[in-house]
Amino acid sequence: MNRARRKQEGRWAWRLTGFVTVCVYIFMFAPIVATVVLSFNASMFGGFPMTGFSLQWYGKLMANEQVLAAFRTSLWIALVTAIVTTAIGVTTAFALVRFEFRGKQALSTLVILPALVPETILGVGLLVLIKAVDQPRTMLLLVLGHILLAVPYVVLIAQARMIGIRRVYEEAALSLGASRFSSFREITLPLLVPAVVGGALLAFTISFDNTSASLFWRPAGVETMPTQILSMLKISISPEINALGTVMILVTVGIPLVGGLILQSLTKLRRQGEPKEETQ
Amino acid sequence: MKLTTTKRLERLHDRYANGDLSRRTFLTLTAAAAASAGLSMPWMGRALAAVQEVRFDGWGGTVQDAIDKFAFQPYTGKTKIKVVQGTFGDEDEIITKIKTAKPGDYQVIHSSGVNYYIKYVNAGLTSEINEANIPNMANVLQPMIEPFRKLTPKLSAVPYDYGTTGIAYNTKVISPEEAKEKGAALLLDKKYAGKVGGYSDMTTRVWYAALATGQDPNNLKDMDAIWAKVRETRDLAKKFWSSGAELMDLLSKGEIVVTDAWSGRVAALQDQGHPIGYLDPSGSYAWMEDMLILKGSPMAECEELINFMLDPATSIAVAEGQSYPPSLDPTKVKLTEKIEKLPAFDKTGTMKSLTFADPTYWATNEDAWTKQWNRISKGA
Amino acid sequence: MKRRWTLYDPRLAWMLVAPVLLLLIFFLILPIAVMAGYTFFTFVTAGVETSALTTANWHEFLTDSYYSGFLLKTLRVGAITALLCGVLGYFPAYFIWATTFRHKWLLLLLLIVPFWISFTIRTFSWINILGEQGVINVALLKMGIIHEPLQMLYNEGAVILGMLHFLLPYMILNVYVSLESIDRTLISAARSMGCTSAQAFREVTLPLSLPGLAAGLLLCFVLAAGSYVTPQLLGSGRDALFGNLIYDTIMGELNWPMGATLSIVLFIVLGFFAAVYTRYMGMSQIVKGLGG
Repeated sequence: MNRARRKQEGRWAWRLTGFVTVCVYIFMFAPIVATVVLSFNASMFGGFPMTGFSLQWYGKLMANEQVLAAFRTSLWIALVTAIVTTAIGVTTAFALVRFEFRGKQALSTLVILPALVPETILGVGLLVLIKAVDQPRTMLLLVLGHILLAVPYVVLIAQARMIGIRRVYEEAALSLGASRFSSFREITLPLLVPAVVGGALLAFTISFDNTSASLFWRPAGVETMPTQILSMLKISISPEINALGTVMILVTVGIPLVGGLILQSLTKLRRQGEPKEETQ
Repeated sequence: MKLTTTKRLERLHDRYANGDLSRRTFLTLTAAAAASAGLSMPWMGRALAAVQEVRFDGWGGTVQDAIDKFAFQPYTGKTKIKVVQGTFGDEDEIITKIKTAKPGDYQVIHSSGVNYYIKYVNAGLTSEINEANIPNMANVLQPMIEPFRKLTPKLSAVPYDYGTTGIAYNTKVISPEEAKEKGAALLLDKKYAGKVGGYSDMTTRVWYAALATGQDPNNLKDMDAIWAKVRETRDLAKKFWSSGAELMDLLSKGEIVVTDAWSGRVAALQDQGHPIGYLDPSGSYAWMEDMLILKGSPMAECEELINFMLDPATSIAVAEGQSYPPSLDPTKVKLTEKIEKLPAFDKTGTMKSLTFADPTYWATNEDAWTKQWNRISKGA
Repeated sequence: MKRRWTLYDPRLAWMLVAPVLLLLIFFLILPIAVMAGYTFFTFVTAGVETSALTTANWHEFLTDSYYSGFLLKTLRVGAITALLCGVLGYFPAYFIWATTFRHKWLLLLLLIVPFWISFTIRTFSWINILGEQGVINVALLKMGIIHEPLQMLYNEGAVILGMLHFLLPYMILNVYVSLESIDRTLISAARSMGCTSAQAFREVTLPLSLPGLAAGLLLCFVLAAGSYVTPQLLGSGRDALFGNLIYDTIMGELNWPMGATLSIVLFIVLGFFAAVYTRYMGMSQIVKGLGG
């Protein structure tokens, strides 16, 4: 066989790969782009063709008391979830990486289960449990549930990062007379910053975005942003929902992007850690 | 959330005093309630700060807009009591939520008549009304109150409006003559396959299947035939809608050309100039709606609200807005011409021209039929 | 007598993991255990059940073909979705890994962005594409190719499409992570020994990336088979999956014992697939994939 033909084949295979890749990216973003574009549609029916450019649906959104309440609720839940999950997730990751103790293997498997068990099952399970002990559904329950769902991701991210931080740094500090806590605070934590921020951001979005489990867990009369969207969708897709979607995208994409950028410039300033830093 | 922590603690204390709870449970629950209140301050704050509010849950869309505009807003203006509103598309869904909520979370429900009333009563969810606090009840049609009183001599609900679930059709596609001739059979007309709609609700589906098989909806003999017809409509249907707003959306966009539909929503569409016709086939499904008060509600405020809503001026304005005739007796109160033209309106005040569902008959079959309907709707 | 604390003392480890451990016990293990017990409770009427023990729920589940039919259908839809994800996801993962494109980070970032966009929004955005007034129908009508809008929503295809959309980033990341861990000198070695690029791919790259592909397949399968929102938004009643069945039994019929039974069934079935997977592949690949 001649080399040229083989090379030719290789080039075609590569082109095909590139083509499929472009298609997949279009597939992933086209609906989102359509939603953003349609949110500026002047017509009251949520479809193409566009009849004109208008910001009226954003105005209407801002006047919609239910939507604003749901937005505030989701924001609070996500904030609390992000803070608490990061705190307990990072300490868990620290223990899992640095310590040897019995049941460690079992625990590290257990910790990622909430990400693998379908939310419907987690939702029903918790509901059955609180009914069995005759407790009402409260906001606290919803928040704790969200924390459960976010914990695996935070632990995994922190774990991955922690493995990269060499133990000798901490031990050096300890041998120089630093206390346990201050060695963690002075050495480990600063090195962990990217993982902490990344984990917190992810926990925030997981909570802000959660739909299925929230449907089961939310207290009576409480709507979170996704459940509110879901109940609005029962009526029909409208430009108002598209506008709402666009606002949500701005919040959930904007926050991590800005966070990532800040983080990156911080790391550049400090010039520590490896140069290859993922924003997540 | 609508229930203040103090109230919840009081309630806990009541249960403790009555001996429902052991001392230990009482203390744990108190601690838990206090802790949850403390932890959820940011979003509890608003609820706690509000001086007085009443929770109302209704059917959303044009109907609730009308109630809000002509009843709630003036009421809030007069009394400073805020009406916090929620919506539902299917009353069973809201009953589920009430059952799994704390008493007082939900308070006033815009409920659909006796066959739902019985469900609340059986589940022990209702709260008795002191009729002396609602003087405007004197104007309410007696034939509408009687069925409620038959179930509970002391009422927990007051009839507010009524309507029918008839057939709505797009006049550009189906002529009124054709509609009149075929009636309920339009829902099974193969000519309109993929353009048929219907309410995603067991009672409505079974009712129309009963009409299609020539059976009495309040005494069904051949259930197999009923389910066969339900399946037939399902296979012709583009989509079963699950809220009044969705019904209006599908009809106005022309995505469906024939469906069973709520009279008031169709009237609202006609008002907006859409080419939609409406007819009540013989035996059409008639229902009434009532304002129902749940256990744990602030009774004085709720009664005051209902009395305000029944005031002839308010009631007529709401009726014109939501396009459903009011529960006011036309022989006692002068109604407007617009109301008299509404579909389903009964000018005699006897309600004899309308067929309602027999609450006890339907309640006994509810569980089994709902299960079967759920299966059919999923393709079984 | 107190024992002295050592560096990396296990007792300290337990203190550090305590909050997460408690959360897992009370919100994961206990609920599933109680739910398993609930499957033996007696259903009386909507919203009412007694703790009289019965096997009626299990009997109903095992004898009524309605349930097993749904289960099989759910597994079938999950499998189709996972396979499509595998096929469509491998190309981009390979491309990102192999490309010499200077802004590779951008491709990776774009892969992560969907995780940040609300799942509900991503799902309903398909209505803007497939609906009667969506992009495709409007474009085809304008061009005169069709005269009646095509019915593309509310069917199984739309449901699978929606799930594909939500699961593809998981798949791509999983495969990418495993490609990334391949020692590139292996490939150069293969090439220098006379392999064509296709052979090198077949003999070296593909086998070494299989763990990532397998982890992605499992993840996509489990998430698809457990989904609730996508069939709800993009399917009609008859495209419901097992998750919808559970939701309706719990929230609609208020039959909690049966709802618990169905939940446990789904848990066991999906757990079985996950167990088979870990038996052969181990857990580490999934861990890598989830950690992004």
